Parts: sequence; structure tokens; C-alpha cells
Amino acid sequence: MSKAGEYLLEIKDVCKYFPGVVALDHVSLSIPYGVVYGIVGENGAGKSTLMKILSGVYTKDEGTVIFDGETIERTTPIQALRRGLSIIYQEFNLVNTMTVGENIFLGRFKETHGMKGTHARARELLDSIDSKIDTHAVVGDLSASEMQMVEISKALSFDSKLIIMDEPSSSLTQEELSKLGNIIRSLRQRGISIIYISHKLDEIFEYCDIVTIMRDGRVIDTKPVAQLSRGEMIAKMVGRTIENEYPPRTDNVGEALLEVKHLNTWKLRDVSFTLHRGEILGLVGLVGSGRSEIVRAIYGADHADSKEIRIGGQEIRVKQPWDAKKAGFALVPEDRKREGLILPFSVESNISMASLEDLTHKGVIDKGKERQSAQRQIQALGVKTPSASTKVLNLSGGNQQKCIIGRWLEREPRILIMDEPTRGIDVGAKYEIYLLMNKIVEAGGAIIMISSELPEVLNMSHRVLTVCDGRITGEFDPRACSAADIMDKAIG
Amino acid sequence: MKNIWKTLTRQKAVFAILALLVIMGAAELFTHTTFYTLYNWLDMLRSAAVLEIVAMGVSVAVLCGGCDLSVGGTLCIGGILAVMTVNAGLPIWLAFAAAMAAGALIGAVNGFLIVHQRTEPFIITLGMGMLLKGIAQQLTDAHPLTCKSLEFMTISNQKYFGSVPSLVVFMLVIVALFYLLMRFTSFGRNCYAIGGNYEVAKYSGIAVVPIKWSAFVISGVTASLAGVLLASRMNTGSSVYGDNTGMLVNCGCVIGGTSFAGGVGGIPQSFLGVFVMQLFTNCMNQIGISSYYQQLFQGVLIVTVIGLDCYGRMLKREHRDRESRLAARMGS
Repeated sequence: MSKAGEYLLEIKDVCKYFPGVVALDHVSLSIPYGVVYGIVGENGAGKSTLMKILSGVYTKDEGTVIFDGETIERTTPIQALRRGLSIIYQEFNLVNTMTVGENIFLGRFKETHGMKGTHARARELLDSIDSKIDTHAVVGDLSASEMQMVEISKALSFDSKLIIMDEPSSSLTQEELSKLGNIIRSLRQRGISIIYISHKLDEIFEYCDIVTIMRDGRVIDTKPVAQLSRGEMIAKMVGRTIENEYPPRTDNVGEALLEVKHLNTWKLRDVSFTLHRGEILGLVGLVGSGRSEIVRAIYGADHADSKEIRIGGQEIRVKQPWDAKKAGFALVPEDRKREGLILPFSVESNISMASLEDLTHKGVIDKGKERQSAQRQIQALGVKTPSASTKVLNLSGGNQQKCIIGRWLEREPRILIMDEPTRGIDVGAKYEIYLLMNKIVEAGGAIIMISSELPEVLNMSHRVLTVCDGRITGEFDPRACSAADIMDKAIG
Repeated sequence: MKNIWKTLTRQKAVFAILALLVIMGAAELFTHTTFYTLYNWLDMLRSAAVLEIVAMGVSVAVLCGGCDLSVGGTLCIGGILAVMTVNAGLPIWLAFAAAMAAGALIGAVNGFLIVHQRTEPFIITLGMGMLLKGIAQQLTDAHPLTCKSLEFMTISNQKYFGSVPSLVVFMLVIVALFYLLMRFTSFGRNCYAIGGNYEVAKYSGIAVVPIKWSAFVISGVTASLAGVLLASRMNTGSSVYGDNTGMLVNCGCVIGGTSFAGGVGGIPQSFLGVFVMQLFTNCMNQIGISSYYQQLFQGVLIVTVIGLDCYGRMLKREHRDRESRLAARMGS
């Protein structure tokens, strides 16, 4: 690098206080030119607060920030961008109804001399990262990975020297992820530094040069990635050693509990399978393969052209999620915020939502009973919340997920469907969710688990079905086969 | 108690009421008004009663994430049907039954279109309101229909407990019933959940379709009931009643803090929201502002209250949610 030895970004003793919390406690980081710099840490470790100080959403309370030789006291998001610091959030900052080109130069049409110039320059930027997206395409029609390309192009359009990527992989398939990897490498070659924030340690090891581990608002350690092992990293993140990422598998698979036959929808072709008592069944497939559609159709959330569902040999009819609930199904949906929880409602009413009928007397809610049931689940699942009447939007991802699980445990479901049960949840909370899943199957329930994280499926489930193009393409015993075998069938 | 206080202070409608009370107090120094008399307040409540009753049903629809602008039409139809039934020599209970059945039917059609056909509630109920107005005009040949039964007329024109107009009593009973329904029953809770997030409610196995549907039926029934009471008060069924009702009531709900987005607000909020408009009209009448200006000021009131309310909420949101957004973003 031309300016080797100097740092692009230096953060010295930065502190940030929120009422009652020290969000950042004397954080110091030095980021050289042209590196991929990983930041890992559990939820609440202070990663996002730090990034928001850099991007100007928050102001720091103490400390200094030097970006590209310039000391920065106060900044606003637009100033930060103009200086060459952009941030790509997990939820993209794009206008879905506008075109790719318009999005890249949003609010800067004057600089690009009208629409023609806008699209021409957008084209150049997209070409520079090897993307074939049409600049006239409407952003709402793009896939998550393509939106990310647009975001990256937008960052490049500001001549960014530093691009912060917050959980960039959360909605990408394996293939898209490797493409992102290539882009990251080529950006690094151009001398652009990248801060890569992720929960997925595999990616950190693959892409990053240096990694900083944060916990409770403090920097625990900064090291070249090559000098760290996975175990060490996890131990530093959680502040304790986690022997295993996964609990031992349970072993009490019993007789057939659920039989699904000839499930057909606009997307699915003749899906049939069986689920046994005490079993965790993993469904593996790429995004869009139809894996979520299978469970949604069983649960009555999507219309099915034909289906035959038997529980314990008895045929049941499910037209609405309401029927599914009565039959003993429970669904922990994929998108926690959109399908799982009513964010401005209290923990208590989110938990009691599915079992309200049991908590009423002639239609009148028994507040005492409701409180009891919420407390029971909060305690049983270890939900960290100040009180049962706290709004769920104030909880962390893992605790929110526990609220949804608690909602269903209150009904003692026979079949629990979990779509991406640990998405966006930190390592410690993940382990707790796994333990919960084991507890459920030990009690004689059965779980259908959908997950994009193959190791999770391999280590948790008793049986794995691969889904590709709306069909079930293979059945595996995860104890006796490799991830490659499974991926092979899932890709089809 | 603390909760009640919190609910009250969060509503700009309460501040609007307080402000009006102070202004009227000040006006008292210059001119003599009858504003601070029991009679005036009872009269105000009586004038507000019909709108308030309509607002109760509409609130249920709004809390479910809809809105109902067809209530004006429903109100006409209810009143006309009741007068026609009574004029045909049939008993009064049948008049109520017929009107309310019609209201339920209208609500069911609204519900079907909104829940099953996924039409936009605002537009579809607006259209439905016009359609109903048209039917009302056909039914009455666009003439007011005078009721021939003295008994029917006394329903809304008598007084209980000495000097309390019967309409006020009916209103209070209905408001109380709706408050209990929305606050303490699983139906009410489920309405909030559906309005708060339809998908979540659906996936939680709440019977979303019948509940949202019945919210519109309830709205239709209360509107037609209000129509019967209005017809009794005026001793007339007419297609000109309720021209502004739909807009005023929905507006009142929002002023009170029952959000069109659903899941936020409640019966007391809607009650206050509608009452504030009545109070404002009364104040203007007391001070002697000409009716030409009244509409202007009423518009100003609505725009300011809702504007201030949204602004206040935004400030609060930004203040408080910073941390939670931070937590949320960190997490996922």
C-alpha cells in the first residue's frame, strides 16, 4: 500500500454513555489502509454503537476519532459519506420503488447531469465490481444479494475509503456469499478498507486480516486472524469457554407422529415425508428452494392445492394457521420482526398471544393467569427482560426469539416448526436455543427445523431432508454423511 | 391510576380540552356565557351522543387496522328503516332489530371486501357510504320521512335521573360496554394484535379472518343503532343525515390517538377525540363565532392536533427508541 504504516482510521479511548449503561468503555482501534477488519462480539457488545458514532448517527462522549489524518469531532451521516466513510446496514437503505441508478445517486442528480449521466455512471460502478444488474431495474425486484451490490456501488460512488458492512451475509445464499467475498477482496486491492461485522465466524476467518473482539462495550483483543483459533475467539466473545457449540444429540426418536403426503402448491411438487416423535428433522435447501413454503403450507399459512396431513395416523384438515394451532402445530417464523412479534407490544402480551383462549373465562382475560403464564415462560426460558410489561422491541434478538418460543411452549405443541431459529442471535443465546430444542424433543415433541447454517442442521437434527426446486431430493442421516453430500443434493 | 394519567397525558386531545376550558374561562371575564353550566354540558354530551356511539364501533374497525367511512350511509339507512318499520305499525323493538340487522349486513359486506378481497378500507368504505346514501335516497324518494309514533319519538327525547337526556345515558352505557370489550376480553386483545401486526396475529393462530370481519359488523351495527336514535331524536328518517359523520368520526378517533395504522389507541381515546370536536363547536357558538368561520377553525383544530401529536410522537420515538434500535441493530 502506498501509505503503509499510517492508519486510515484511528479511534482512541472513545466512550459513549446511555442512561444507565456504558455502551462504549474506552474503545481504541487502529485500522490500516487496505485491510478487511473484522469486528465480532455478542449482541450488546457495542459494535453497532461504535459504527454509529463513526457514521455520525451518534456523537461520542469522550475520546478522539482520526479518519484519514483528520480529527473528527462531530459529524453527520452525509458528512461522513462525503469524507469517504460509508456504512451498509443489514436492512438496506434503498428506496424500493426507484431504479438502481437513481438509488446509487439519490439526492445527487445534479452532480451526474441528469438521468442519462446517472445511469451511465451507475453502470461504470457496477461494472467495477463485476455486477451485471441493469441500472434501470427497480430495486424492489432485486434479490438481497443484488441490493447489496447496489449498496456497495453507492458506497463506491462516494469514493469511500472505508466501507462498514454490518452483518452483510445474513440474507445471502452460499453462492452469493462467495461472490461477496470476491468483491471484498477486489475492494481491498483497490486500497479500500472494510470493517466486516458478523456473527458468522467462518466468514471472519475467511475474509478478514485483523479481527477485534468486543464484549460489554470494551475491546477484549485485537489480533491478526491467523493467530486466533475458533475456540479462542468464541471464548473471548462470550467471556467463558464454550466447550461445544452444540449440545449432544438427544436419543429418543419414537413412532411416526406426523405424516405429510402429496403436498402440492404453486411452488411445491408432491412433497411427502414423515416426522417421528422425539425427532428433530432438518430441512435444507437454498433460499427459494421451497423449504419455507413446505412448512408454511403445512401450517396453513399458504394455500395448498392438495395435501394430506396425518397426526398419529388421524387425518386432519388445516386451512388456516388457526386450525394448525388447534391440531398441535406451532410455528416460529423466519422473520422475527415481521412475522413473529408485535414489537410495540409487551413481552407478556406477545407470549400470551397464542394461548389467550386458555387464559380467559367466558371471553374475559384473566390478567392474573396471563401474568403467571408469562412469568412461567420468562423464567423457564431465561428471557432477560426488566419486566413482563417491557415492550419486546427493547429486547435483544435472542430474547425476542425466546419470547416466540415461549408463546408456543405455553400451548405444549406436539409439532414445533422452526424456520431459521437462530438467525441473528449471538453464540451464547444460540446454545440456549439448542438446549431448548432438545428439551422439547425429550418431552416427546417433534421439531421441523429449517436452517441456512449447515453445521447447525448437521449437529442438531436426527434426520435431514434436502429440498430443491419444490421437491424433496434426498434424505440423510447427519451422523453418517458429510456436509458436501447434503449440499450436493440441495443444489440439485 | 398512574396508567390512566399516562394515557391521558399522552393524548393531545386532552390538552386541547384543557386549553378550551381555559379559553372559555378567560372569555367569561369579558362576556357572559353559559359554558360553565351543567345544562350546557349535558346538552353538549347529548349532541355528541350520536357521533360517540358511531365512533365506538368505528374504533373497533380502526384498531383492527381498518377504518370505516361508510358509517354515514349506514346511519341514514338505519334511521330510515326504523321509521318505516314503526310507520308500518310494527313494534318498536322490531324497528331496532331491522335497523341493526341492516347495519350488520352492511358491515359484513365491508368485512368481506376488506378481509377477503383485500381492498383498501379507506376507499371501499368511502364508496360504500355513497352507495348507501343512494339507497337511502331511493327508499325515501329524497324526502324526509316523518315518524307517526309518539312512543318512538320519546326514546331519545326523554330525561332520566331528573335532567339527564336519555341519549347521554345510552351513550355512556355503550361507551362503557365497548371499553370493557376492548380492554378486558380476548376479542379486544386479538383486535389489537391484528391491528398491530396482521401476519404475526395470523401465525400465532389467532382467528384473524372472523375477528377482523366481525369488527366491521360491529361498526355497522353501532352506526345503524346511532341512526335509529338520531331518527327518534329528530322524529324523522332522512337521507340527508350523516353527511359528515363518516369523516368526523374517523377523524375524531385519530385525534384521540387511535391510529389508522391499527393496534394503537383505544375506546377512551376515541371518546375524547370525538368529544373534543363537539366541545370546540360549542365553544365557538358560545363566543358567537359565525358559522362561516366555524368550519375553518374546526379544520385548524384537526390539523394542529394531529400535526402536534405526530410531531410529539416522533420526538419521543427518536429519543427513546435510539437505544432500542441500537439493541435491535446490534442483535440482528
